Amino acid sequence: MTLQALTANRLLDGDVVFWSGERWVEQFSDAHLYDDPEPAEAALATAKGLPTVLVDPYLIAVTDDGAAPVSFRERIRALGPSDHLELGKQAEGGAAIAAIQHAHGSALSTGRLSLIRRKP
Amino acid sequence: MSLYAYDQIDREMLADRAAEFRGQVARRLSGDISEDQFKPLRLMNGLYLQLHAYMLRVAIPYGALDGRQLRALAAISRDFDKGYGHFTTRTNIQFHWIRLKDAPDILDRLAAVDLHAIQTSGNCIRNVTADPYAGATAEEIDDPRVWSEAIRQWSTFHPEFTYLPRKFKIAVTGSAKDRTAARAHDIGLKLTRNREGQLGFEVMVGGGMGRTPYLGPTIRQFLPARSLLSYLTAILRVYNRLGRRDNIYKARIKILVASTGAEEFARLVEAEWAALDQAPIDLPDLELARIRTAFGVVPFETLPARSDVFEAARAADPALARFARNNLAPHKRSGYAIVNISLKAPGETPGDATAAQMEAVAAVAERYGQDDIRVTHAQNLVLPHVKLDDLPVVFAELQRHGLATPNLDLVTDIIACPGLDYCALANARAIPIAQDIARRFAAPDRAEAIGELKVKISGCINACGHHHAGHIGILGVDKKGEEFYQLSLGGSGAEDASLAAILGPALPADQVAPAVEALVDAYLGLRSDPAERFLDTYRRLGPAPFKEAVYADAHQA
Amino acid sequence: MPTLIRLEDGAFVEAVDRFVTVAADEAIPTDGGVILPLARFEAEGAALLDDGRPVGVLIQPDEAVEGLAYDLPRLALVALSFPKYRDGRAYSSAALLRTRLGFAGEVRAVGDVLREQAREMVRCGFDAYVPSDGSSAADWAGAAGRYRHVYQTAADRRAPAFVERESE
Repeated sequence: MTLQALTANRLLDGDVVFWSGERWVEQFSDAHLYDDPEPAEAALATAKGLPTVLVDPYLIAVTDDGAAPVSFRERIRALGPSDHLELGKQAEGGAAIAAIQHAHGSALSTGRLSLIRRKP
Repeated sequence: MSLYAYDQIDREMLADRAAEFRGQVARRLSGDISEDQFKPLRLMNGLYLQLHAYMLRVAIPYGALDGRQLRALAAISRDFDKGYGHFTTRTNIQFHWIRLKDAPDILDRLAAVDLHAIQTSGNCIRNVTADPYAGATAEEIDDPRVWSEAIRQWSTFHPEFTYLPRKFKIAVTGSAKDRTAARAHDIGLKLTRNREGQLGFEVMVGGGMGRTPYLGPTIRQFLPARSLLSYLTAILRVYNRLGRRDNIYKARIKILVASTGAEEFARLVEAEWAALDQAPIDLPDLELARIRTAFGVVPFETLPARSDVFEAARAADPALARFARNNLAPHKRSGYAIVNISLKAPGETPGDATAAQMEAVAAVAERYGQDDIRVTHAQNLVLPHVKLDDLPVVFAELQRHGLATPNLDLVTDIIACPGLDYCALANARAIPIAQDIARRFAAPDRAEAIGELKVKISGCINACGHHHAGHIGILGVDKKGEEFYQLSLGGSGAEDASLAAILGPALPADQVAPAVEALVDAYLGLRSDPAERFLDTYRRLGPAPFKEAVYADAHQA
Repeated sequence: MPTLIRLEDGAFVEAVDRFVTVAADEAIPTDGGVILPLARFEAEGAALLDDGRPVGVLIQPDEAVEGLAYDLPRLALVALSFPKYRDGRAYSSAALLRTRLGFAGEVRAVGDVLREQAREMVRCGFDAYVPSDGSSAADWAGAAGRYRHVYQTAADRRAPAFVERESE
């Protein structure tokens, strides 16, 4: 089954965050990867119970090697804008960032596992 | 200064709004109100949650601001954002890296210079778009800013129209040349005079971009100017009551007008207007005069039409000559010019300006431009009142700050929304496509030789890049998780309004700039003479030769 | 019993609701004030009014309030429904009741009624509110009183800025 990660925006500053298993972190490479839907859904439910901490938590699909989100949109969320490579999470550089930048292929456009209606 | 001067009442409005939002943010942070309840409130203060952070959309009412305000925006970009801002197709400015907890302080900072983020998002009446050459162009019937300010006040916190089916956008144009895309707005208002010389508006309703673009039909050829607000009330009330609320993709007034039919829709509006008690709604003459006066009078000097200083400088400097050829527009006063500042330097993000660039424009405007700055819906800036004598020094200053790209309305003057690089609604990126195309045509001689060619790029069907109105329109789509781009041709947002038609199957990202090049080459080979624009060649010949140029293998399909 | 807040002489007060809202298929109580859905009022309202009962009508967003024109002089109140607070049609209904139709009885906001919309409701002519967010009369007074000025004429006939300016 697909690997998943749990993400949201932080209410206070809108920053993209991921659940590490213990706390909310800013780099995708620190995100906990779920290979089983049950604990993933449980973590999502817990996150939804934190409306003064997070906005709109949801699960995203991750590539089999765990290096990057599957969807292009989620990769941009995990990196930052491509017109300012010195801004956002990508500014940290390093191997983990490079792995997301060079990840190949994507199948699910939004990366959300519970797809909202999409016209074919 | 020729900006509407805020009086005590206007200022107290902004202060009260900022205070209200501060309270609402506090209640959200404490959990007193839910995100669902808070969202429209923050949207009505221009605060979106985007891909990387909150985005704040600050209103630049009808695209007009002064040096003090532009400096304040620069300072805000430094103090609360990452040192740059993005000018939008609705003449607002966006900051992409805002924190919710800072928003109340930012609104206070804005209010201190008579700026705000009121109703720049949400299902309410948005910022009015007006002709950026207002007050400077000779061919103006009346100053659209006066009427835009009247609309701004009437629509601000209008209690009946705060929860419309969907957003509502109004444009006011006062010239034969339409620089606002009026017919592509929910309401387009064209200043006009009737046979008796009375001032009024042609009223167009039901235009819009988005998933289903429309050009708004004229529902009333002549509305006396003094009845503007009551008539708008009638239109908005009909829309508020009858607009669809079951499907957000069918909720704009354009759908209502199309499904009801223009004639019947006009009849509904006229009936509501007739039944309205108009007098308390319309502005008294005294108030209209007050607003007009509050714009001030520009102290133009009496100057000869020819400036020796300018002529000598442009003879000596080909770069100045090129800038003058492309970026200047004629001014109503002898010895003056309208200066267009392009924010489309090839390779840069279209519409973006750094804090330093904003400050440079502010300084030039204060010193040489009557402290008057405009924003255009093409994401560029304008100094509407510059003396020809001062053009050489203004040009030099703009050059120093990378603000002298001589490409107004040329192929590299591309409109692009922030797209998937920033926007949570996008399907694909728009900025890199714009950069690719601009870099390809960066040679100024080449761009000039091609002539007027408006390329407009949207990262999703919401069409914030106005791709339906592009001579070449480009729409980013998501095809199995990859960024693809659909090209359309033949759109126009000017007075010769038309909607672009899809050319063929969507192309992957790296084929877009080559495709545009193929289109340009085809045009250059087909145009009847250099004065025939790309748009006109397309209208004359139809899509076939252009389709052939891009999809060379199409005949094999 | 959800709180009823009324705006009386410019002050927000918690009030006792003297009306029972009767659903489409419920029995009508034998005495006291009743609020009926429109269709039910059209069928059974006349009899209740003839009996001298205080009667109100509940109007949904897609129901035209003009349909009540002939009955308004005898109605004690009109309740306008907000199925979702974002559905702004009731604001137009309230404005029409107060201005064109000259209704002087109670105009009550029911449904998804939140204090953050207090200002719009007051200005459109609502003078009674059944909040769904647990807010109090003091909350409503606070929310409704945040602005020192208004720009446009509305049903509440508060002097707009351009009238204020005239008298300066």
